[in-house]
Amino acid sequence: MKKSLKPYDILKRVGFNFMIIFVLLYLLFPFYWAVNSSLKTESQLFMTPATAVPRDPATLEFSPTLQNYSVVLRDGQFLRGLANSTIVATASTSLALIAGSFAAFALGKLRFRGRRPALYLILAMTMFPQVTVLTGLYAVITVLGLSAIVSMIFSYLLFTLPFTTWVLTSFFKGLPNELMESAQVDGATPFQTFRRILLPLTAPALVTTGLLAFIAAWNEYLFALTFTAIEPGSRTVPVAIAFFTGAVAHQEPFGEIMAAASLVTIPLVVLVLIFQRRIVAGLTSGAIKG
Amino acid sequence: MAVKNDGASSKKSFLPRKPNFSIPARREEKLALKLLLPTLLIIGIIAFYPLAHVFYTSFTDRIFAGREETNFIGFDNYRRLLSVHIATLDPVIDETTGEIVVDPETGEVVYERPIDILPREPIRFREVNQFTLFGTRYVVGATDRNFVLAFSNTFIFTVVSVFLELVLGLAIALIVNSKFRFRGPMRAAMLVPWAVITVVSARMWEWMLAPGRAGMFNAFFDWLGVVERPIAFLAISTFQLPAMIAVDVWKTTPFMALLLLAGLQTMPEDIFEAAEIDGASKVRQFFTITLPLLKPAIAVALVFRTLDALRVFDIFQVMLGQSQYSLASYNYFQLVANRNMGLASAIGVLIFFLIFIFAISYIRMLGVQRE
Repeated sequence: MKKSLKPYDILKRVGFNFMIIFVLLYLLFPFYWAVNSSLKTESQLFMTPATAVPRDPATLEFSPTLQNYSVVLRDGQFLRGLANSTIVATASTSLALIAGSFAAFALGKLRFRGRRPALYLILAMTMFPQVTVLTGLYAVITVLGLSAIVSMIFSYLLFTLPFTTWVLTSFFKGLPNELMESAQVDGATPFQTFRRILLPLTAPALVTTGLLAFIAAWNEYLFALTFTAIEPGSRTVPVAIAFFTGAVAHQEPFGEIMAAASLVTIPLVVLVLIFQRRIVAGLTSGAIKG
Repeated sequence: MAVKNDGASSKKSFLPRKPNFSIPARREEKLALKLLLPTLLIIGIIAFYPLAHVFYTSFTDRIFAGREETNFIGFDNYRRLLSVHIATLDPVIDETTGEIVVDPETGEVVYERPIDILPREPIRFREVNQFTLFGTRYVVGATDRNFVLAFSNTFIFTVVSVFLELVLGLAIALIVNSKFRFRGPMRAAMLVPWAVITVVSARMWEWMLAPGRAGMFNAFFDWLGVVERPIAFLAISTFQLPAMIAVDVWKTTPFMALLLLAGLQTMPEDIFEAAEIDGASKVRQFFTITLPLLKPAIAVALVFRTLDALRVFDIFQVMLGQSQYSLASYNYFQLVANRNMGLASAIGVLIFFLIFIFAISYIRMLGVQRE
């Protein structure tokens, strides 16, 4: 049914490409604009009309500046935020992966009474509104006298743990039962089978799930904002950026904020692009296959 | 769950297995419980205990981080949050002429002041909104005006943003699903908004929406010549909610598109080939084949997004501060700024039930079979 190109087909192709360009522009423009603004000086930021690349106000020549970046990097708060975020997100993700892979193995491969209720409990937990327990968690933290960093690590398990458990359960379920049976015939206990045979097989799933949990923890704002309210030194990146006031107290230093925004986004974007396929697979298996 | 059972006979009825496997089975059961223990313990400490605490606190007047004595006040917090009163407003009658007073400038009928109509006991009702229905003017009053507004903001935000995300996400998924040269880079680009921290994306948009011509949108509208003077998008209440929706749609449409794309890619191609041979148009194929087959993927994506949108916090808190609230940001405000822990807990409980109802009804309505 191939026909020669008719004007209508050409029009269709042009229209299609136009749509692709439009979608790309929509997805990438805000990020591009942040990077563009981060390379401008204060006076360049307020030039009218706004320029698509940093230009000299007088000569209109291309003249980017890294001044905003050096201000951000010299600002102790931002670097400390990066360190805090790294500690909190790494610790919370690791705990979620350890506890989650244990639970997932039990839920996915072992037969025991109460398996179904346990599965539903985990599923329900993935939909749990974190904001509901905000006041209660704060009470627990005060009673236990936990520092802000430790409280964030534990409270983030509220969303990282059900997520890792749920995704890994479906992964364990997908592994062939023969693996376990043959190991059992060879005299391995179920736990040995888990540690020596199944866990190495889940390594790719652990990486993907871990990455997604890490991003979720890195992103978290509500708990971080609340728990660091009286402990500003423990602020994570989102809180630091929300509170960013710059070196000098004047109106909001958007050049510097955009520099900070670009600095935290670029590594994440690179990471996401490297693990692109796995992330897409992980997201969809977490959501669709359940 | 962990009840020890010595009678081996009763155990067999639960686990239909060959008898000679019964000892490993019992060991397996023990192992499963041991492996689940850390997770159940953690969930107990960080979810169930706090949840019980929140339910309890919602019936008290507890003050956050204070030494004041806490009293049990029953449903007072809920009464304060949920009391809504609708009253009719009568037109003002001029006492001398006996005619309805009309505003000389706008030419509109002047009505009574809501403050005179709305009840003041036991707590004062404040005006939330006014509307006209069948020629009668009504006023909506509430004892906690901000909560009612936060509720309606969250509701409108959820409905509109999830709808737009579904439509846009479906369009993008269909585009990416067709074969073209830059498909790889396109899929990579889709992950960029998703990877940006929500707070960071809020600040990026805050800057693009900045008042004055330095703001990208104002510069753009100025260049188009559609506005006379720059608009302070985040300060004018008409633009606040649309701005929140715009940020959320940008940030999460790619996620929606990825979920739908995965659904599209599982579709067998021969159905479409058969439809092609039968002479079905592309539009017809979309509505009779693609959409019905995509229903499960759409359902799951909708559930995820709706539950997420209902607890929206970051963008409201960062971009609007205390000028407009979502349910979650109002909860935070009552807890941290107002130190009203009892009231904040009551808001938390209401959010919990709202999400609970949504989750259940969604799963029922769309027939999502999980597991």
